[in-house]
Amino acid sequence: MSLLVALLLVLGALFMLLAGVGLVRLPDLYLRMSATSKAATLGASLVLLGAAVHFGTAAVAGRAVVIVVFLFLTAPVAAHAIGRAGYRRKSPLWSGTIVDELADADPDRKESA
Amino acid sequence: MSPALLGATVALALVGAAVLLALVRLVRGPDLANRVVAVDLLSALGVGIAGVAAVASDDPVYLDVALVLALIAFLGTVAFARYAEQGGDE
Amino acid sequence: MILEVVLLALAWMALTGDWSPAAAVFSLVLGWLLLRLARPLGGEGFRRVRLARLPGFLLFFLKEIVVANLTVAAAVLAPSGRLRPAIVAIPLALDRDAEIALLANLITLTPGTLSLDVSPDRRTLYVHAMSTSGPDDLRREIQQGFERRILEVFR
Repeated sequence: MSLLVALLLVLGALFMLLAGVGLVRLPDLYLRMSATSKAATLGASLVLLGAAVHFGTAAVAGRAVVIVVFLFLTAPVAAHAIGRAGYRRKSPLWSGTIVDELADADPDRKESA
Repeated sequence: MSPALLGATVALALVGAAVLLALVRLVRGPDLANRVVAVDLLSALGVGIAGVAAVASDDPVYLDVALVLALIAFLGTVAFARYAEQGGDE
Repeated sequence: MILEVVLLALAWMALTGDWSPAAAVFSLVLGWLLLRLARPLGGEGFRRVRLARLPGFLLFFLKEIVVANLTVAAAVLAPSGRLRPAIVAIPLALDRDAEIALLANLITLTPGTLSLDVSPDRRTLYVHAMSTSGPDDLRREIQQGFERRILEVFR
């Protein structure tokens, strides 16, 4: 059991580190958010599942599971809020982006681009 | 040292490195939206650290820390995003 | 409504760690009161929920998360060659608020894609993808993947 706990903690931490690396290395806001909003959520969830296994009682495990569910419900809402705000503030897209169909639909943005 | 404690120690080092990387993005920006993403990641890392601390100290009270952090972080991020969308300052 | 009250009550009992009958009654009443208070805030709900199809839906979703997280890992570790980002307009067959919100959240949670905005007429969802072979491929993937499955469970 203890080994499983160690495995879940380290695996979760690796995903969180991956989110950090992505946040620094990727070239624009949207790509960075793609990396952080899921890798960090998955990482934190794996760590909490590790804690649930570690304590093993229904009371503690239940609490950990509810926190995981909460993370998965809120992470995409937060990411969507930041992404939309960033786009409306014209946070620049990476030059390698192949197409932006939202700009085509929004003439206001097209003019300024 | 039990495997769980060893795992917690390694995990803490990895998450610590992630915190440093998030701080780099927080300082560099270059704009408000990027900094909000960095803060959002920091709070997710905080939830992870609380989970690791619960195992390392064998005290489930840290899970309450994780829960409250997750709740507040969500509200904070959405509030920041709203503020940015309505044209808050850089 | 009943389903939501039960879910809230389960969350309450899990968080407090108290599964006694008294806690069950208390949390059910509390959940019902909260939902009544929050009702003016909500948009349109689902038409129906086919509970029998929910487990399969969740399994599909979990598989998507695991498989695609590895894609993001590869893109983060070797960004230069793998990144082909695009913002793509996805025409929606879904029309209820709850359905569109669910689709948008699932797209954001599966790595590599991110919901950015919904058109004012709510017929189009704008999705950012980290790496796509082309806008038409991404449209087809989402329409035949998540959207079709949402239609199966909630219609």
